[in-house]
Amino acid sequence: MNTCITSRRRLVRSAFACWPLAAWAASLGVGPNPAVAAGLEQAQMVKMLEEIDERQRNQGDWQSLAYIEQKEKNKVDVVYEALVFRRSQDQKFMIVFAKPKASQGQGYLRLDKNLWFYDPSVGKWERRTERERIGGTNSRRSDFDESRLAEEYDPEDSGQEKLGVYDAQVLTLKGKKGLDLAFPEIKLWVDKATLNVLKRQEFALSGRLLRTSYYPKWKKVYSESKKAEIWYPQEIRFYDEVEKANSTLILMKSVDLRALEPNLFTKAWLESRSR
Amino acid sequence: MRGLDTLSMLSRMALRNLRASRWKTLIVGGIIMGGAFLVVVGTSLLDSLDRSMSQSIIGSVAGHVQVYSAKSKDELTVMGSMDMEAADLDALDDFAKVRKTLMSVPNVKAVVPMGISGAIVTSGNTIDIELAKLRELVRQRQDGDLSAKTTQAYEAQKGHVRQIVQVLERDIANIKQLQDDSALPPEDEAAVHKAASAPFWAAFDETPLESLEFMENRLATLAADADMLFLRYMGTDPRVFSEAFDRMRIVDGQTIPPGKRGFLFSKYTYEEQVKLKTALRLDKIKKAIENRGATIATDPELARFVRENSSQVKELLLQLDQLETDVFRRKLQGLLESPETDVGKLLATFFDTNDETFPKRYAFFYEELAPSLDLYRVRIGDTLTIKAFTRSGYVQSVNLRVYGTFEFQGLEGSPQAGELNLMDMVSFRELYGFLTADRQKELDELKASVGARDVSREDAEDVLFGAPAEEASGGTVEASATGAVEAQAALAGLAGRLQRENMADRVYDPKNLEGGVVLNAAVILENAKEKDIERAIADIERVSQAQGVPLKAISWQKASGIIGQFVTLMRLVLYVAVLIIFVIALVIINNAMVMATLERVQEIGTLRAVGAQKRFILGMLLVEGLITGAVFGTLGVLLGAGLVAAVGWKGIPAFNDIATFFFSGPRFFPALATSNLVGALAIVFLVSLLSSLYPAYLAMRVTPRQAMQAEE
Repeated sequence: MNTCITSRRRLVRSAFACWPLAAWAASLGVGPNPAVAAGLEQAQMVKMLEEIDERQRNQGDWQSLAYIEQKEKNKVDVVYEALVFRRSQDQKFMIVFAKPKASQGQGYLRLDKNLWFYDPSVGKWERRTERERIGGTNSRRSDFDESRLAEEYDPEDSGQEKLGVYDAQVLTLKGKKGLDLAFPEIKLWVDKATLNVLKRQEFALSGRLLRTSYYPKWKKVYSESKKAEIWYPQEIRFYDEVEKANSTLILMKSVDLRALEPNLFTKAWLESRSR
Repeated sequence: MRGLDTLSMLSRMALRNLRASRWKTLIVGGIIMGGAFLVVVGTSLLDSLDRSMSQSIIGSVAGHVQVYSAKSKDELTVMGSMDMEAADLDALDDFAKVRKTLMSVPNVKAVVPMGISGAIVTSGNTIDIELAKLRELVRQRQDGDLSAKTTQAYEAQKGHVRQIVQVLERDIANIKQLQDDSALPPEDEAAVHKAASAPFWAAFDETPLESLEFMENRLATLAADADMLFLRYMGTDPRVFSEAFDRMRIVDGQTIPPGKRGFLFSKYTYEEQVKLKTALRLDKIKKAIENRGATIATDPELARFVRENSSQVKELLLQLDQLETDVFRRKLQGLLESPETDVGKLLATFFDTNDETFPKRYAFFYEELAPSLDLYRVRIGDTLTIKAFTRSGYVQSVNLRVYGTFEFQGLEGSPQAGELNLMDMVSFRELYGFLTADRQKELDELKASVGARDVSREDAEDVLFGAPAEEASGGTVEASATGAVEAQAALAGLAGRLQRENMADRVYDPKNLEGGVVLNAAVILENAKEKDIERAIADIERVSQAQGVPLKAISWQKASGIIGQFVTLMRLVLYVAVLIIFVIALVIINNAMVMATLERVQEIGTLRAVGAQKRFILGMLLVEGLITGAVFGTLGVLLGAGLVAAVGWKGIPAFNDIATFFFSGPRFFPALATSNLVGALAIVFLVSLLSSLYPAYLAMRVTPRQAMQAEE
């Protein structure tokens, strides 16, 4: 076994030392390895998902400024600027809309198994579901949250494909039982060289394709809390497969990994923004 | 004079002939009489239905003519289309201009602004609702309202929430006792025990928001009675609307006062969607028993309602505080003569009704139990939050006070008309989210600040992954400085800028309604006969085009969508039925008269031998037919008229919702019109004439020689 995978934590801490990841990927069977022909073992795929998650996991607080743009047929484009807050420790999550003025102060707050929506103009909280389209766009809470693929899905090997100039390992992920997931099935195209997710397709229980997403740009920042770099997609493009003319663009304008206020992820905090 | 003499002679001969072949005359006459009877009754009923339904539709929401922007993609339907989606209409930016244009058209009496849209309203479950009430009271106290009234309400609500937690705790104990599979996960169970504990409530006043968050996140999810309402609503000027539409009637509460934001539930929606499910099921059982003669024993749907009511008592229990629970226990023990002390079990037994016990328990529910329950999830006077996705994509929420419920007289039982609720136009415009120039500018600036490129879905993979260039790389490694001042700045800017305002209390200037966006408008005419409506439609389109506000105008019948088509469809069905009946009658009459003519070959031949012309023979047969038609047709018409008059006097009771809709009310009173009588007689004469033509033609061809041969 390659030392890179004997200890996941060590691997991430010394990500550069082990670079290029191709060598590591080869050890998983995703590189030019004879094992590829026979497909990936279940354990290898689970490890692969864990690595994808781990590379993005901050193990601390996260704050980013996101630009969201939704295009729909015969409609004016919808644009938002939103602040995304996350806390890895207890998987708390919040989005607050900063622009435009009409949406300012509206927010989503995830606590335990609840996704709350707050609108300051009416001063009310509503419990929403994981399937809620954030601000009416084709993005979901999970698109802004930490990657938890290994915890939420069981992978299956779907072969390899060429995606533009990239060699991609394709995985089909089936949602684990008992979880309220936005999508019960996902197909993932992972760059074999870097383990960046390049493309993702999400399906309904019926098997119907709902959404195709592309992650063309990945960035990394150094996390003090993790003592390592973390990766995040700087650009995400969603194409609605039901309403074919609809698409959504998310740009992570900036990321800040410093510790957030302790009481940030509370209803009282979000309410206090508008009172 | 000669003509009259001839006619007199023809008539006498016809009468003699008809008497001679009495049975055949009676058969033919009977058919004619039946046909005339059917035409009178059928057309009277249909015309009456048409009149009452059109009055209902015109007088409720459609007006005589509906107008909307000629640039619209969809056709307007004010009462819902088959897919129940609001039509995609191009907004009319300036209602004042539209009204001015329409009022310049001759015969236009009034114009009512309108706009139809829909939104999903999610109410939390019973625990959510009760916790939200407590949160509001906590907020009030934290804002400095420590009045006795607020404190009392706060303490009472705290007591109620504590009772809810106790119900949950008892529920867990019951489930455990039954060793049911639906037992809660240990962490949820621990959460319930924590919230039911004395220390939790002792500390509540110190950190109320934290305690509330704990219960909202950990306990409220344990109740699964959350509702999702789909509300279809019409924005309008409530005063103008109620003046223009005389069929609108407030059932509970009051209309939206001028200048106020408000919401009126249609009674139909209020009952079907907002009412406590247990009560709604009881109502449905009662209705089915009374209207259809259904029984719980034989009707699977009613049996299901009974089962659901009996098994879903938690929703009721959560509504009760300690005092109310004790009252329920006592009352139910008395009625059921049971020593059981668990109110949940008593309620389950109470709702487990059969055909014998149902009437008494139904009455008991409404008289004894309902006064302690919230029968409606949203009560008159409550504030309703409607959250809608605007046309330009924003999520927009408004708070509206619910002022009451209304119905359209005659359309009470119609789901299409009944699903339309009303709100003030100012709120509608806000929810509709018409993009103002300022908003558009803000969006453009936001987009420009990012400068994102458009990538079409077809080119996405090529553009995004086509080259391993730095800018389009799936694996670009770019170290970035920690931190982002932009986010902090955006967040800092957010605080203090938002003002929470109780919009439901805000009064707007009614003049605001004059200008601004509407999607469509109803036009009420002075004179509204069919030809007046047609003329008005043409005039509106012509005038609006000339004045630069191109409008599309459609009749009430078209605007009312599938409802308006019902009358046309029914009329078509009746006409086809009448046509078929008369075609059959024509064949039978024709056949009988041909037979009669053949039997009279000798007589006709003799007449021809003594000099009767062919024209005379033709006349004789036609007069015979017409006399038969006149006598029996008149009899049929009189019988039909008598029946319509008798029914019209007493009225026909509506036996179900659909009948109520067709009858435009609980009873239907058909009325007789001259046109029905004249029309029936005209049809009878035409049929008599047509059915006499072929026998007359045969008779004309009879010669004296044929008559003599027939004798041989």
